[in-house]
Amino acid sequence: MDIQITGLRRTFGKVTALDGLDLTVPGGMYGLLGTNGAGKTTLMRVLAGVLPPTAGTVRVGGHDLATRTGRLAVQRRLGYLPQDLGLYPDLSAREFLDYVGLLKGLDDTAARRRQIGELLDMVGLADAAPRKLRGFSGGMRRRVGIAQALLGDPALVVVDEPTAGLDPEERIRFRTLLATIAAGRTVLLSTHIVEDVAQTCRDTAVMTRGRVVFNGPVADIVQRAEGVTWELVGQGPPPATGVVVSAVSRPDGTHYRLVSSARPDPRAVPVQPSLEEGYVALMHAGANG
Amino acid sequence: MKHLPLWRHELRRAGWTACAAPAAALAVTLALTATAAAFGTARPQLERFLLTGLEALIPLAAGMAAVAVVSRDPSRELQLTLPTPYTTTLGRRLAVLGGLTATLAIAFSAALAAGGWWTGPGLPYAPLVWAAPLLWLTGLALLVAALGRSVVLATTTVAAIWLGEQLFAATFATTPGLRPFFLFMTTRIGVPTDWDANRAALAASGALLTALALMLLRRPERLLTEEET
Amino acid sequence: MTTLRQTWAVTRYEFRMQIRKRSLWITTATLAVVLTFSQGDRGPRHLPPGTPPREVMASWALLMALLLPIGFGMVLADRLTRDRRLGLASLLESLPIGRGALVAGKYLGGLTSTAVPAALVLLIAAAGETAHRHDPALFAWAAVAFVLVTLPGLAFVAAFALVCPLLTTAPLFRALFVGYWFWGNMLNPDLFPSLTGTLLTPLGDYPATWLMGERALYAGADGWLQFLRPEPGGAAAVAAIALLLALSIPPLALASPLLRRRNLSA
Repeated sequence: MDIQITGLRRTFGKVTALDGLDLTVPGGMYGLLGTNGAGKTTLMRVLAGVLPPTAGTVRVGGHDLATRTGRLAVQRRLGYLPQDLGLYPDLSAREFLDYVGLLKGLDDTAARRRQIGELLDMVGLADAAPRKLRGFSGGMRRRVGIAQALLGDPALVVVDEPTAGLDPEERIRFRTLLATIAAGRTVLLSTHIVEDVAQTCRDTAVMTRGRVVFNGPVADIVQRAEGVTWELVGQGPPPATGVVVSAVSRPDGTHYRLVSSARPDPRAVPVQPSLEEGYVALMHAGANG
Repeated sequence: MKHLPLWRHELRRAGWTACAAPAAALAVTLALTATAAAFGTARPQLERFLLTGLEALIPLAAGMAAVAVVSRDPSRELQLTLPTPYTTTLGRRLAVLGGLTATLAIAFSAALAAGGWWTGPGLPYAPLVWAAPLLWLTGLALLVAALGRSVVLATTTVAAIWLGEQLFAATFATTPGLRPFFLFMTTRIGVPTDWDANRAALAASGALLTALALMLLRRPERLLTEEET
Repeated sequence: MTTLRQTWAVTRYEFRMQIRKRSLWITTATLAVVLTFSQGDRGPRHLPPGTPPREVMASWALLMALLLPIGFGMVLADRLTRDRRLGLASLLESLPIGRGALVAGKYLGGLTSTAVPAALVLLIAAAGETAHRHDPALFAWAAVAFVLVTLPGLAFVAAFALVCPLLTTAPLFRALFVGYWFWGNMLNPDLFPSLTGTLLTPLGDYPATWLMGERALYAGADGWLQFLRPEPGGAAAVAAIALLLALSIPPLALASPLLRRRNLSA
């Protein structure tokens, strides 16, 4: 299910969340990187049919999201995991999935129950299925969230910041799960964690201030930091110029890695950039541009 | 009845406090009437108070409960992305609340009639004693909740109208423009010739208010933001 | 001193959060306007020229007390329960502040934030009355009426509105509160056993009657619980105020354990 976005604007009163955004997403797993406040969640909500666009066109699988019928057609084939998924605490995981399944129109009881069982197995919650959701950890809640998104075998799955706040093991587990489900469908992963995209997506878009500033293979992001990434060992505070990406305190001093278009300090030496530094360089250029 | 499991879910989602509110209203009515009886209040007063439970307290409780039903939903964003329109889901929850309230009110009316305590209109019209003001107050509560996106505004409006009509009952009864919207005509005046018109006006305008509220709730921006928490 | 400082801090911020609530102002303004224009012939606007200012402003205070506390009760109903809903309960539990100081601060902040619009309404009424009665003493009597008629009732309402939702829920409390307000303040005790006209009437019937020099509503009218219906006068007004303030203490004393139970439950 491909996504084609042209000149998308979404405003809330005087605040512009999406400002003439253009993006084409083919099938498979696709990343959407951006800082907090870049407009990712608004874009996710537009794609999920929650918010209509203020201007521009958004077509998902050929359906125009500006129309009610278009939104409904997309919602019938959509799985959505919002950033702040609230769960009904008085329901068990199985009951919650049953409820969402019914609202998705899965009326065949036997088939619905079978699918819920399979999904609970898939997300590793089969044993916890009868437990009330109020006692679930953050990771378990997120896995319930992805299980509900997959109910009805959707062609498009939109996940908004799914790994924020999870411990490393749970994050890896969740990423693997997302990569697994991407076979045969479009999965749009919105996140501000570069690592998540690097580990799961071949292609990504990068957003800042409601616009897409990069669209292409994840590996190409690294190139944006070549020649502008520096390492510096010093005793005092970091230099005023550039963006500090990491600072590690060692016996010989603090090892800073910075992204800066000019050499930030006479002692700074150019180094090979990482993906995260490429992302910082991109965001910095976007902010300045 | 392929939707029966869904209705069961919506019954739980409506929440026990919302569903308990009409029952609590009738329990309070019975408790106060029993207290009054213990203090030697005359039977006509007691009969009128029992009717007040139906005409005044049930609609008040239902109106407040309706605000609670539409105002809080932890999974609202997810609900908005599902193919079942969220207004349909809210409609089901309100219908559950309405159904429970109606069952209780009909049972209460029947018990009053069986015990010889009923002083309202003929029994075929008995449901209009509570249903008309209930529709009107609930419709108003929903509309203010949808417009103001504030539980406080909605509940205060319902409370103020309810109390205002109790306090200024004489004004409502004698002013031609207000009389069709007098919520407590049965208990304050009885069943005059324009009782039917009063009930019809309340029920029709209540349905209109509810429809307007549901139309507003179709706009997701109204649901994703709460003015005050 | 630490507890006092903590209570003061909670009070200040609770006040700030409440006073910024759009619904508090809309509710107050709407109710005040509705009451002003629907007061009828017995209302303070129709008191004849030459009526003593204390009577005029007591009448205004009583009129506003009919409905304004309903709005304030609605506003305050979720102030103790909302911390958990907003995910702040664990943070607050982890802070070195006693639950008592937290409850006291929320109570005082809530009370003062509702008292401000209530006082403003009376001052505006005094200004309006001064325009055609030409007596600046109306402002002084507005302050007196506020302290004697409005404030004790607000203190009482604030305590119960904060704490009762911990026992029931905010929606159920709101429904019960409206019923109570009518039964306990306005339901003619002659028609039905009610608290109307007793010393326990938070409407301020006794203090208003004392200031007005004639029965304001039902103060002292015959009815249920006759021992709570003394002849209105200065002593009865003071007793009514003291009783309302004293009755505000038990719910506040219960608030800490109730809050603890609620915050610690899964």
